[in-house]
Amino acid sequence: MRWSRALLTCALLLASCPQLSFAQNTGAKTPPPADDPDKDPNASQPDFTLIALPTSLRLPQFSSAFRVTHRFLRPLGEGDFGDLLDDFFGLDNGAQIGLEYRFGLMRGLQAGIHRTSDKTIEFFSQYSLAQQKNNGFAGLDVIASIDGTNNFRDSYSPTIGVVLSHELGSHGALYFEPIWVNNSNPDPSEIVDHNDTIIYGVGARLRLLPTVYVVGEFLPRSGYTPGVNHGSFGIEKRAGGHVFQLNFSNGFGTTMGQLARGGTASDDWYLGFNISRKFFR
Amino acid sequence: MRLTRASLMILMALGMIGCDEKLSDLTGPTPNLEPTFSSIQHEIFDNSDSSGRSACIQCHTNVGRNPSGGLNLTSSTSYAALVGTASLLKPSATRVIAGDPDNSYLIQKLQGSADIVGRRMPFTGPPYLTDGQIRVIKRWIEIGAPNN
Repeated sequence: MRWSRALLTCALLLASCPQLSFAQNTGAKTPPPADDPDKDPNASQPDFTLIALPTSLRLPQFSSAFRVTHRFLRPLGEGDFGDLLDDFFGLDNGAQIGLEYRFGLMRGLQAGIHRTSDKTIEFFSQYSLAQQKNNGFAGLDVIASIDGTNNFRDSYSPTIGVVLSHELGSHGALYFEPIWVNNSNPDPSEIVDHNDTIIYGVGARLRLLPTVYVVGEFLPRSGYTPGVNHGSFGIEKRAGGHVFQLNFSNGFGTTMGQLARGGTASDDWYLGFNISRKFFR
Repeated sequence: MRLTRASLMILMALGMIGCDEKLSDLTGPTPNLEPTFSSIQHEIFDNSDSSGRSACIQCHTNVGRNPSGGLNLTSSTSYAALVGTASLLKPSATRVIAGDPDNSYLIQKLQGSADIVGRRMPFTGPPYLTDGQIRVIKRWIEIGAPNN
């Protein structure tokens, strides 16, 4: 069952890129144009994610990127400052770690896989419908993903949503991301009031210095809403193809299913970091 | 072309809907148990299950005996004996309070709560009802304890 779901996901991902299929059928290669504008650095959107939410940064065709997410499990508010220092701000405790790889299947279409150390695996894809540089107002992406717990054996949560972005010149960008997460409730639908969650994600990235940004995101929800609404903020440094981000969150979620299930407690905040690397010039 | 691709992505997501957990995974020894009164009557009150739990009507019946605790769970009388009816042995408690499973005495007896009178049910337990079976009964009460 789990493999049939994984195969269905892969098959549908491939089915959604007709140009790629055509190229394979004819044997013709369709290399990305040498002057692919998707390879140009974007000062307003330097990374593919804010903290957990996606941005509308396009991944060039046949290029890829890697990201590691880290959320330390020790609440920052536990004990006094001496205790916090004793645990070195939570670094001495365990962490929820995520590894992510994404690939540009075709111009505007990227897909990837994200696995977190609680054995959740998420397959995701994102297609750029409109770019702000063309319409002058906003970028619009559609996203689709499915995550499954227990190494994609249990509790599958398919997701569909849009990423609406507005770049503020080269000073950063604002985001609004309505996302529907199906089956976010791990209980059978027969015994629950709500089985799905709608996330109304809002976020921003502001450029403080040429390569330094502050980021923040907040995810109000409706439907199945356990825990508290996920919130997170951080500071980050872009260095070539890398982005190093230090963040503070009220939960450990990085997949859509995890985000739908909310943060742990409104007054528990956790230290974390993201490191991403783009494999293209 | 763009709309085609976006539509395909939407179809992809819609194609993956239907990932809901199976109720039978929760209900364990009674895979056909559903949050309806007729299902609870048949799967819990009237019959034993694969765990070896006793059927409630072994004792809560008026066939050949007086029903234990004054509670007759045979199918013709069980609904009226439960919903909105006070317990005989603990008159301050109502057996099933529609919409309020936690304060329903039936649930407290099945869970073996601290302030029940007498023993946890089933009387011959263990085995008792599983957490999943009790969840389904609680859900039936939560949605108003309909006679369905």
